[in-house]
Amino acid sequence: MGPILKIEKVAFRYVSEWVLDGIDLEVNRGEVVGILGPNGSGKSTLLRVIEGLCEPERGNVFVKGTDISKLSRVSLSREVAMVQQENHFSFSFSVLEVVLMGRFPYLGNFQFEGEEDIEVARKAMTATSTLSLSGRLINELSGGEKQRVLLARALTQEPSIILLDEPTAFLDLSYKKEIFDLISSLSRQTGVSALIVTHDIDLAARYCNRLLMLRDGRLHASGLPVEVLNAANIEAIFGCKVIVDINPVSGSPRVSLI
Amino acid sequence: MNVPSNKLKRPLEPKKVIGITVVLLAALVATIILSLLLGTVNITFRELRQVLFESREGSASLIVLKIRLPRIMLAGLSGFSLSLGGLIFQAILRNPLADPFILGVSSGAAFGAVLAIMCGLGFALGVPLFSFAGALLTIGIVWAMGRGRVGMESSTIILAGVIINAFFTSVIMFFIAISSDDRLHTMLFWLYGDLSQSRYGQSAMIAPFVIIGFVALYGFSRHLNIMTSGHEAALQMGVDVKRVKGVCFIIVSLLMGLVVSLSGLIGFVGLIVPHLARMALGTDHRLLMPVSALGGAIFLIAADTVARTIMAPSELPVGVVTAFLGAPFFIYLLKVRGSRWGRS
Repeated sequence: MGPILKIEKVAFRYVSEWVLDGIDLEVNRGEVVGILGPNGSGKSTLLRVIEGLCEPERGNVFVKGTDISKLSRVSLSREVAMVQQENHFSFSFSVLEVVLMGRFPYLGNFQFEGEEDIEVARKAMTATSTLSLSGRLINELSGGEKQRVLLARALTQEPSIILLDEPTAFLDLSYKKEIFDLISSLSRQTGVSALIVTHDIDLAARYCNRLLMLRDGRLHASGLPVEVLNAANIEAIFGCKVIVDINPVSGSPRVSLI
Repeated sequence: MNVPSNKLKRPLEPKKVIGITVVLLAALVATIILSLLLGTVNITFRELRQVLFESREGSASLIVLKIRLPRIMLAGLSGFSLSLGGLIFQAILRNPLADPFILGVSSGAAFGAVLAIMCGLGFALGVPLFSFAGALLTIGIVWAMGRGRVGMESSTIILAGVIINAFFTSVIMFFIAISSDDRLHTMLFWLYGDLSQSRYGQSAMIAPFVIIGFVALYGFSRHLNIMTSGHEAALQMGVDVKRVKGVCFIIVSLLMGLVVSLSGLIGFVGLIVPHLARMALGTDHRLLMPVSALGGAIFLIAADTVARTIMAPSELPVGVVTAFLGAPFFIYLLKVRGSRWGRS
């Protein structure tokens, strides 16, 4: 079986400057891939291109071998789901209602959710430990709970790959760990792939199978965390001097500012 | 994590939607009957039965069939459309204060209608058509003002409405100033929402649009649920946001154009009714749509009954009654409930 996601020489610009310039990337089934890079390096735009929200000027994006420009929004949303950094709900839906929104691409215009849709939602909520929240209102949840619910919503889309745009940005340390734990166990159990944009280098080092480093819309480095995370690379993309050693407990690379 | 029962209940069953719709239809019939009985001349229930089921001629028959019933029908259809329009705007602009009247869409439609009247076009085709164009134009302006933002802020909505309303009102006042005196009274009365000139023909004209429009919009009810959580999020879940928005705006403009050209400016129905529905039943548009629409019909029939009975034999324009109730409600929403919407 080929890669779930394949990106070939993708270039994109909003106005004149290239935000993405010749990006190549492959994500296999069940892989968790992290994207690191400074603000404005094109990380979020890359996710938007994969979601079909930005059309690349050059290059192609393939999901399970199909060029996404040939897919309808409904077909694409059955393969690719997204968890955004921040989600604002103007109206208070219950948690279960929010999770069931993920069934949209599987239902007709005048159709109501059936037993099988509920079953998919139940599994997603069990996996994300949000079942006990099902009756609560989405606006009343804490940041970490809300992120788990949105992850459950992404899972009910039954996608092959989930894109996460800084899913831990507004969370405290324990919630950050919880989200990364969750993503890596989901990928192992269900085979869903994940592509995570994040600034949490240490967590990415520990939980991601592979890491990419973006700088000015180009791929600066890619490979296993131990290969990519070194003082030279980090200084090159973030402009900070760091020391990189090994976390004595987890054995993954650890980055500290000097 | 505590483990609750593994059984999840469907949040909304079709039979709940049907059940609540039937209850509201019954309430609508009750409101219509009550409204047929009340007025400058009160009709007894016995007389009403004779008129309706024994086709008895006489003054009661004249009042019920020639004056009150056509008016009630137009009030019902107008309230239905106004409330539905408010609900759709609120979902798409992601703000519960978005009402066709507050946004200036109604005055845009009124501007179109007045322009058509001044050009000497008839109420059969020209006025509704111009009115529709005016509504569509205004929606375009509102949309352009809120473009590219994460949900439209309440202050932006209100400001947009104030400006658009001020502009169209000034144009309308200009038209009124240059029109002849004998038409002035009719025009002013119509502007404040007047149902006293209702005829069956008008209801017959808009009823098909209202029904088809409702069914078409209902097909988008789940789309709208998702769009309230953000247009980008909706795209990611497979919603063709552009198409939904375009179709909804055209249908709602058409309904607003028709309603305004026939009943004038009636405000706040689209604000009050969907909000009460949301407070009582949650935020699922599959349920909110029939509830808001039927609730709007009931509300406007009741308001019009008040308008024509409270100072009998004189009448108030129904728009005065809805604004009298609606404006304080609007302030309450803005101050007391702040930014929290939906179930309390």
